Amino acid sequence: MLTIRNVTKHYDSIEAVKDVSISIPEGVCYGLVGPNGAGKSTLIKMIATIIRDYKGSIQFNEKKLNSTLKNKLGYVPQDIILEEEINAIGNLNLFGRIYGLKGSQLELRTREVLELIGLRDRGKDKVITFSGGMKRRLNIGCAIMHNPDLIIMDEPTVGIDPQSRKYIFQMIEELKSAGCTIIYASHYMEEVEKLCDYVAFLDRGQIVENGAVGKLLQQYAVPSIYIKGNISQDKLEQYGTVSAKKDGFLLYTKEPLAAMGKIIAYCQENSVDVERLELVRPRLEDVFFKLTGSNLRD
Amino acid sequence: MIAIFKVELKKHAQDKGLFFWMLGLPILFTIIFIAIFTANTDAAMRQEVILSIIPGYVVMFVFFIMISMVQVFIKDRDKGTTSRLASTPLSSFHYLLGKWLPFMCIVLIQIIVLFLFGRLVYDVPLGEPITLLILSLFITFTVTAIGLAMSLTVNTENMGIAITQIIALGGAMLGGLWVPFEMMPDFMQTIGRFLPQYWAHQSFQDAMAGTTELTELIKTLAILFAVGLAAIITAMIRYPSFLRKSVG
Repeated sequence: MLTIRNVTKHYDSIEAVKDVSISIPEGVCYGLVGPNGAGKSTLIKMIATIIRDYKGSIQFNEKKLNSTLKNKLGYVPQDIILEEEINAIGNLNLFGRIYGLKGSQLELRTREVLELIGLRDRGKDKVITFSGGMKRRLNIGCAIMHNPDLIIMDEPTVGIDPQSRKYIFQMIEELKSAGCTIIYASHYMEEVEKLCDYVAFLDRGQIVENGAVGKLLQQYAVPSIYIKGNISQDKLEQYGTVSAKKDGFLLYTKEPLAAMGKIIAYCQENSVDVERLELVRPRLEDVFFKLTGSNLRD
Repeated sequence: MIAIFKVELKKHAQDKGLFFWMLGLPILFTIIFIAIFTANTDAAMRQEVILSIIPGYVVMFVFFIMISMVQVFIKDRDKGTTSRLASTPLSSFHYLLGKWLPFMCIVLIQIIVLFLFGRLVYDVPLGEPITLLILSLFITFTVTAIGLAMSLTVNTENMGIAITQIIALGGAMLGGLWVPFEMMPDFMQTIGRFLPQYWAHQSFQDAMAGTTELTELIKTLAILFAVGLAAIITAMIRYPSFLRKSVG
């Protein structure tokens, strides 16, 4: 559906995006992950047709992405961009009208979107009275008024309460079920892991790796065992690579179950007190660490 | 464009500060300065002062719309609204028009209210209402076009406010809106003739008195239109840079 080929963007001497190439299939949720300043927002703005002066090409359904295709895109910016002095319906209507909706069609779609974003009872209230989470939901609502094929979300859950976050996740699942393709930029790895089918890791403007989430986890993330108790690091090192974590140790091994059995046996034989012993599921955070040598929140 | 226009108009209608700035303050100033300048004068002199002050203050105060324009555009730029709208099918031309037209409506209403105030309170003549309306439309276009160009050019609100003061007050002083033009020093009169304020004021006075000469009117309208057009061209040139600042 969306093909990005050798895209590069400079801000004076700074190369914000360097030779990025990715292909996003139809109907998937595609995560763009990277630390602040990695180039996610710049890439997102290029896809959203806001930034137009860049090298390379972006194609949507094999056509060059330009102004005529804007009707197919819905952009959710990182900042909340709403008219605070008017009500939620007014904001949705504004974007609906910009995309050519009018009359009963506009009214119907406004009702649908209000329902989807969970603000049906607050439609007539001024946005200024809304919580941060409600504004975030309305921010998404404005981007989907015209039923876009591709929804581009830039950090849509920054600074919101868990309830609104959950609501947004539900919305994204519903949009996916409806066949929308979603690009989801975030620095929250757990969100991307939960929502996305594919992911691209961006670091210093470059794609470090991309592909299906499950495949990348299998390829890069080594399962580990977390152990907390009266046991020393050198004793654990016979079973794999060890690193300290939260008063305990993380043991990386290719055969975690076998290693776990051996640790249990060792602890029983040597009367070692174990407070916690658990198998740790590989995470995208581990993949990113392995690829870049740094944590996302460093 | 109509969607933006409607939302902006609604927002302006809720802005009590704008009402004070555009209507309350001019009316207050008009009352105070007419009282000051007509104290101890005979009826003929009083009428002459009133006939100069009413259109003069109309012309001076319409320029203050530029402050609101700067505030709205700078807010849009810094908040990211301009770049957000750039992702939609709304063209930059329609975006600017949608933001600009409500200000034109406000200025037009302001001029009509201030002239009606003059008529009702000071019994000023409105000899040629059609000419007055045409002049009002042209000065509205000119002022808001300058406001648009400035909004897309200045970096900060404070810079916009400062430039507005220079244009509005400096123009009022040099354009003969405060004291009769012929009483001003020659060099000031020379400068004043390059300003839209002078031409608008002179033509408003003629139209009120019913003594408009067609060639003079056309000259004034051409000057106002030319200044406005130059401002529009400046705005169009400045817009890409304004959008880049909004994108960040």
